[in-house]
Amino acid sequence: MRFQDAARDARAITYASIQADPLVARAAELLAEADTAQRVLARAVMNGETADADGWRTAFPSAFDGATDAAARARSEAILEVSLAVAGRGDEVRNQFRGAIVEVLTTKLLERRVGAGAIRQERRILFDGRASEIHPYDVTVEREAAAEAYDCKWGARGINPEVLLQLDSARASAADEGQRLTVALVIFDARRSCAVRMARLTAPTGKIGLVALESLDRLGGVSQ
Amino acid sequence: MAATTAELIDLTVAAHARLAEVGEAVAEEWQYIQDLRAAWHPRLAEVRATRGSESASDAMAAAIERLTDETSRIADPHRAIDWLSTLPQAALAALGEARF
Repeated sequence: MRFQDAARDARAITYASIQADPLVARAAELLAEADTAQRVLARAVMNGETADADGWRTAFPSAFDGATDAAARARSEAILEVSLAVAGRGDEVRNQFRGAIVEVLTTKLLERRVGAGAIRQERRILFDGRASEIHPYDVTVEREAAAEAYDCKWGARGINPEVLLQLDSARASAADEGQRLTVALVIFDARRSCAVRMARLTAPTGKIGLVALESLDRLGGVSQ
Repeated sequence: MAATTAELIDLTVAAHARLAEVGEAVAEEWQYIQDLRAAWHPRLAEVRATRGSESASDAMAAAIERLTDETSRIADPHRAIDWLSTLPQAALAALGEARF
C-alpha cells in the first residue's frame, strides 16, 4: 500500500483554491474548538435563508446569552460571523466551501492525535496488482503501522454507495497486503440522520467507521 | 409565545412536516425524506413525553419561533432536505437537550 497525490486536473485546481481560502481555515479552526451546539449553529447558518445575525443569536440561546463563559460566547460570535460569510457566497460556492471546511476541520482534529506531519489531503491509495481508484481520499493519515483514510461530507445525504465501496475496497486491499487501514466517513451531520441514510444502502458498511457531528472530537482522541 | 415544551415540540414537528413537503420535489430522495421523518419524530416525541408539561423559558420559545420562521422561508427542495436534519438538532439544542 502506498499513497500518491491526486492528479492535478481542472477540478483539483479549482478545489485547491477553495481549500486555500482563509475563510475555510478560519471556520475550521473555530469549529475544531466548538461544542456540539456551536457546530449545529454553523450548520444551520451556512445553509440558512436569512443573514440576520440577531435572529441566529435568538435561535441558539445556549451559544449566546446562555453561554457559560465569555470565551464560549466570543467563539459563538466568531462562528456566526464566518458562517454568515460562507452563506453569503451563494448556493454553488457555499456548497464547495462547506465541503472544504469539513475536510480541514478533520485535519485539525486529527492533528491532536497523530500530529500534522502524518496528515495529507486529496491522496490516492495504490495497491500492487490492483487498478487504482480515480477519486482521491479527502484526508489520509499516513503511518506505516496504522494508516487511516477519511471521506468527509457536509451532510448525511452525501453518503452514497460509491463512497462506501471505495472505502471498504481500500480497507480490504490493505488487509490483503497484511496492512492495517482504518477507513471512516466524517459527516458534519447528526448520527441519527447518517444512520437512516446508511441503512438503505446495499454497500458494505460494517467495517467503515462513522464520525458524526456529535462525535467529531473522537478524531482527536477524545472518548465520546 | 408557546408556554410549554410540548407546544414548542408541536411547532417543530409541524415545521418538519412542511420541510418534508418541500423536499419531496426531489423525487429520488422521497425515501430518505420519509426515513428522516421516521428517525427524528420519535426523538422529539420522547422529549414531549418527558418534559412536555414544563414551562418553556422565553429564550426557548423565541428560539423555536425563530427556527420555524427560518424553515418557513425555504423553497428550495434540496435545502429543505438538509434542514430536515438540521431543524431537529437546532430545536433540541434550543430546548437544552444534550443528546440528539
